[in-house]
Amino acid sequence: MSVAVSTSEDRKRHPDPQWAVETHGLVKRFDNNVAVNGVELLVPRGCAFGYLGPNGAGKTTLIRVLLGLTRADAGTMSLLGYPVPEQRSLALARVGAIVDEPRFHGHLTGRQNLQILAAAREREARDRIGPSLERVGLQHRANDKVSKYSMGMRQRLGVAACLIGDPQLLILDEPMNGLDPAGMREMRDMILSLVAEGRTVVLSSHLLDEVQRTCDAVAIVDRGNVIRQGTITELLAGASVELQIDCSDPEHARGILEATKLGASIKSGANGLEATLPLGTGREAIAEVNRQLVDGGISVYRLQEVQASLETWFLQVTSRLGAPE
Amino acid sequence: MTTTPITAASPGAVSLGAPTPTDRRGSWVPTLSLITTRMMELRKRRGLMIALVLVNIGIPAIFLIVRLIMHAAAPKSYGRAGGYDIFTGLVAHLMYVFGFIVAAVVGCSAGSTDLTDGMFRHLVVTGRSRVALYLARIPAGLAIVLPIVLVGFIFVCAVCTFAAPTKDNFDGVTLPAGLSLTGFEAWAVSHPTTTICDLNPPGGPGQPPPVNFSVNCPGGYQIGFQKQGAPTQQTPPTPAQLRAGALVFAKFNYTAYQQTFLKPPAGLMIGAGLWILLEATIGFIVGLGLGSLIGQRTIAVVLMIVLEVILTPLFVANRIPHLINLQRGVVGLAMAHIEPPALPLAFGGGMNNGGGSRLMQIVPESTDTAIVVIAAWLIVWTVLGCWRMATRDA
Repeated sequence: MSVAVSTSEDRKRHPDPQWAVETHGLVKRFDNNVAVNGVELLVPRGCAFGYLGPNGAGKTTLIRVLLGLTRADAGTMSLLGYPVPEQRSLALARVGAIVDEPRFHGHLTGRQNLQILAAAREREARDRIGPSLERVGLQHRANDKVSKYSMGMRQRLGVAACLIGDPQLLILDEPMNGLDPAGMREMRDMILSLVAEGRTVVLSSHLLDEVQRTCDAVAIVDRGNVIRQGTITELLAGASVELQIDCSDPEHARGILEATKLGASIKSGANGLEATLPLGTGREAIAEVNRQLVDGGISVYRLQEVQASLETWFLQVTSRLGAPE
Repeated sequence: MTTTPITAASPGAVSLGAPTPTDRRGSWVPTLSLITTRMMELRKRRGLMIALVLVNIGIPAIFLIVRLIMHAAAPKSYGRAGGYDIFTGLVAHLMYVFGFIVAAVVGCSAGSTDLTDGMFRHLVVTGRSRVALYLARIPAGLAIVLPIVLVGFIFVCAVCTFAAPTKDNFDGVTLPAGLSLTGFEAWAVSHPTTTICDLNPPGGPGQPPPVNFSVNCPGGYQIGFQKQGAPTQQTPPTPAQLRAGALVFAKFNYTAYQQTFLKPPAGLMIGAGLWILLEATIGFIVGLGLGSLIGQRTIAVVLMIVLEVILTPLFVANRIPHLINLQRGVVGLAMAHIEPPALPLAFGGGMNNGGGSRLMQIVPESTDTAIVVIAAWLIVWTVLGCWRMATRDA
């Protein structure tokens, strides 16, 4: 689905309800530091969306601006089709969020904390406390004081706090923090089940492997800018291609490949040669590598494309842009 | 920026569960459930609640119970536990000041707890009006503070009333306490010599007495009265004359006798109760606003204690040149001006010697101005707290 070109004023007046989150030219400054710098973000409904970036990139600030926890200095945004801050109450009525570390009243039980939050929502939210606690696996500890909870339990209580609002959109900031491997798996399964129910989950995380397993689409943010966004498949298709080459004469093969116009960087590894083709190189280049080697009299025993991971791609993108100027 | 277009949700994407609620959560009026849960949050702070009960109920209770025990053990050495003086002293010097401070501590806690505990963010994300979140704390906090202050006050009233001394010392005469006019007259008729010899003569100094006789008083002296223009009566008065004379003395002295009641009158107890409840309300609301403004409990509590214990006595009792109008803006001065007249001045030290002399000890202010100052403090601190809550980064 293509997005119609419209002016900023049009978009402000008419946010597109097909997007769970829509921002245009969003800016947030702290004195001279621009934490969010003209962010254009479109999060489709009904998907798990990863929001990635190195430390200090402005991930949490953007989330705080979206939720009305702090004011934007410029730009427009909408949640679930409601412009924010104009219709903030309506927008947040169906939004659940964990921002930063989930903290609660330590002297109250998990259930009592949820009662406070449910009281701030609609009447039906009180009826969802029990099911929400059960869904996050806290029903047996619901009557314990939060001060006795582990970090992982507080994370799960944070998710339960989101669920009592029956949210169409969940914004989770580092939800895997403090979770053990089993907890991470449970969290991942829960996110996937929430998405399967048709909810939208925006996930900010530095655990790229988890994001790759969980999310359908991602946005990469660096220095307050969204530098890439799209589905993971599409983004990885644009990543650099890595090849492992097992051949009869590696040194000769190296010379041949370096002499071509493919722009490959070659190094020797334990399993033969490792060639990295530039960003944006198509699969046809792999066939060209094979052709060049064969034409050069090299016997190619194995030519394998190494599947680019989100982590590899993330590091390529952010390290390039994050290099000292 | 390189952006790969993202396809929007497929047409089959679920439109979820309940529709967007129309519960007017943007309204600044707090809901009942919001108030009750805020109350629960405060009530569950065990340390705070213990301090609140200890100061407002425990300290007066311990003081009075010790007096009850001491009187029961040695009634001739120790007076009864209650009484007028104990009541006025406890209310003006203890319950008033401690009630304010404890209410202020609860207010400061209520104003800052969401921030320090990290709950503010969760609450803001619900979409509920920040002003409603703030305003919900006012009835919630007052519903905790005021009943506890009231229980302590009722306990003090009860002990001071039911354990009041049974004998009143009026003009050096020991007589039953709390008599009605009829009872006082009956006592005078049954003790005519004591009444005539020891109580103030009718008419006051320089006024002609309404009786015309001489009485031999205990101690060997004679006291004589002569009506203007009447011949001096040489013979001792008859018992009927004495009783009639005592009746005249009783009527004249009853008003003064009333003022030395040993148990606090109901009107004074009601007035004093309302006064300390108002003081606790001010303490809570100012503490709430200050806690919200600063976002930190300890500093807010210290400032409140400084206001009550240092600044208020200073501004109430001392006239500072060129700053007298500023002094009139201090809520403690306004409270001193609407203090029930029978109570001693809360910050003046010493007992009240009558409304006029007490008010002469403090910076002058009209009652109307005092009421305006109190209302202004309640409104301004509420507005400041709301404003900070509404504009604060969460």
